[in-house]
Amino acid sequence: MTGREVAWRVLAQEYLASVEEERGEGDKMASYLLSPLGARMNRVLMVGTLGPAEPVGQDPAQPFWRARLVDATGTVTVTAGSYQPRALTAIQGFRTSQPALVVGKAQLFRGRDGSATPTLRAEEIRSLVAGERRELEIEAVASTLDRIGLVQRLRRDPGPGVAPTPGDLTTAVSAARTAIEKYPHSDPERFRESLLPLVVPGDPRATPASAVPPPTKVVRRVDPAPAPTLPRAHHAQESLLLDLLDELSEASEDGYADLKEALSRAAARGLSEVRVEELLGRLEEDGVLEEPIVGKVRRA
Amino acid sequence: MADDGGPTVPVETRLKDLRVSELPVMITARIVTVMRKEVVRRSDGGRRPVLSGLLSDGTATVRFTWWDPPREEIDRGTVIRAAPVSVGEFQGRVELTFGWKTRVQPASEAELPLLRPEELPRRLVRELAVHEEGFILEARVAEVEPKTVTVGTERRQIHQGLLADGTGVVAFTAWTDFRLRAGEAVRLTGVYVRSFRGRAQLVLDERTHVERVSGEGLPLPGAGFGTETTLMGVLAEGSGSERATVVGRALALQPPSGLVMRCPSCQRILKEGACRIHGSVTGNPDLRLRLALDDGTGVVTVNLDRADVERLTGHTLEMCLATLRDRPDPSIIEAELFQTLFGRRFRARGAVRRDDFGLSMNPTEVLAEPLDLARAEELLRARLPGSGR
Repeated sequence: MTGREVAWRVLAQEYLASVEEERGEGDKMASYLLSPLGARMNRVLMVGTLGPAEPVGQDPAQPFWRARLVDATGTVTVTAGSYQPRALTAIQGFRTSQPALVVGKAQLFRGRDGSATPTLRAEEIRSLVAGERRELEIEAVASTLDRIGLVQRLRRDPGPGVAPTPGDLTTAVSAARTAIEKYPHSDPERFRESLLPLVVPGDPRATPASAVPPPTKVVRRVDPAPAPTLPRAHHAQESLLLDLLDELSEASEDGYADLKEALSRAAARGLSEVRVEELLGRLEEDGVLEEPIVGKVRRA
Repeated sequence: MADDGGPTVPVETRLKDLRVSELPVMITARIVTVMRKEVVRRSDGGRRPVLSGLLSDGTATVRFTWWDPPREEIDRGTVIRAAPVSVGEFQGRVELTFGWKTRVQPASEAELPLLRPEELPRRLVRELAVHEEGFILEARVAEVEPKTVTVGTERRQIHQGLLADGTGVVAFTAWTDFRLRAGEAVRLTGVYVRSFRGRAQLVLDERTHVERVSGEGLPLPGAGFGTETTLMGVLAEGSGSERATVVGRALALQPPSGLVMRCPSCQRILKEGACRIHGSVTGNPDLRLRLALDDGTGVVTVNLDRADVERLTGHTLEMCLATLRDRPDPSIIEAELFQTLFGRRFRARGAVRRDDFGLSMNPTEVLAEPLDLARAEELLRARLPGSGR
């Protein structure tokens, strides 16, 4: 039996941690992105704050737009091109950030430095009102908890004798087993902690007096991870590279710095190619730079 | 073991224990279906007779091919013993071949493998797989009614109905009268699962044993069988369902959807102004949607008729026709209808068909059902201790 691929309900943290690809062979075979929690994603449904959208690339015959989708656990890049006319029209309408639902195909964008970032190629996009957003958030959290529970259970008892409960689908169990194999060091508990801010505290009247939370600071937020501190020399190299790139993009017609040119200029100032690649990788990861077209870099 | 290099004696094997192997086996089984054919030899155009059909010994049903069978008719229902028989495989299923070396003898009922009930696995309705047999099923009779059918020249009375356990609802056809009554709980052995209209159906016949049981753990008589929500992923792993309820979000439309033209005589959808049966006709406009509902574990395509579409989208056929007059592009109508549905949560109930295109449903009921937020928040808090503090 084939048919339409299911849309997995995932949050950004789990999605961004997914780097294992299962490539379909032949024309019609689907590809999948496997998450550390055993979501075997061809299609996903994500909810968050989307926008503002911006065009990428210069070819007017091949419009390609991009926007960021932010939820409480991370930020995912959403793209739409001329092959998704409805999603393209929809994404162009996101001039400011607003709550949105995005259904699309899971994709793994491979950077020049070999790093892989999951992005979402939108098929359908719609803005949401508050209640709708919450419905979808709850579904995503519940679905994530299902996966965490299954992976933890299988990790405790990996043998074939483990009896999945009747609710466990055989496809879910086999995807979870593969995930455990492919991500041996992933800790499901880390994902569970990130879900906490997504759970709204209960009505205090419903809980016993001793458990009533203080009226302030009811919602717990996860602090952003502290930025790794870099040695002074690295900072110097970073700013040197950024200056160089700014110079090049200002001088170029399309607003992009040509990477080859940048490499040769950097070499002239004592920065090795390996070092530049390393810096570029980190700057892209931090969202300072982007390379929407291979070989063309600009400030994000 | 034949360590001495002598000829291997075929081992008597139950059909469910058959494995593809070089070693021939001995089997005892009943002929369930049989058909005589002739195969034309490529080399000289000579004709070679062959019998093929299904054999069952109560543990499994397998396809068999019998080359150069005797001239006389072999009846359905005959129990045979055959050896040596070679075991092969076709499309992932085990198959038996009787060749010139095979000796086939009549055998008696009593020689069929003895099935001790404790040996048989228990199956739930949702686990039933097409072609399976040799299991125990406990279920409650949800509905049953007699029906007269014509088989060949013979008129026979059969009983049709629905069986349910907590996991699903399955239709059955009983060729023998077991005096089943709606509401009673039964334990069945010796039933066969066949595929009918894209879903599993149980066949009860003279091989079936029906035992009345207390029904502990089964849905109560008069319960709304098939009204509990089933995950689409569960349906995808099963064999369709006679009656199921699913809840999912509308994520796509499958063609043909939107404004369609129907043949005035047979109601078929016209393609390029022509009916498949009646040729070029003036069609009547109608609305229909094939809505893909998705619950995160699977997808069920729900077929909506005009009344459903008008009720759920708020767009009437007249409104759609007016839109078409203003902007003569039918895809605009499809897009407008979809916009009213995309991302919304629906409950649908009906028979689920499973085929090469996935799961589909002709619903008896579809309604919009937003998530009960208060209840969902509460459930979520219960699942994530340590939250919200």
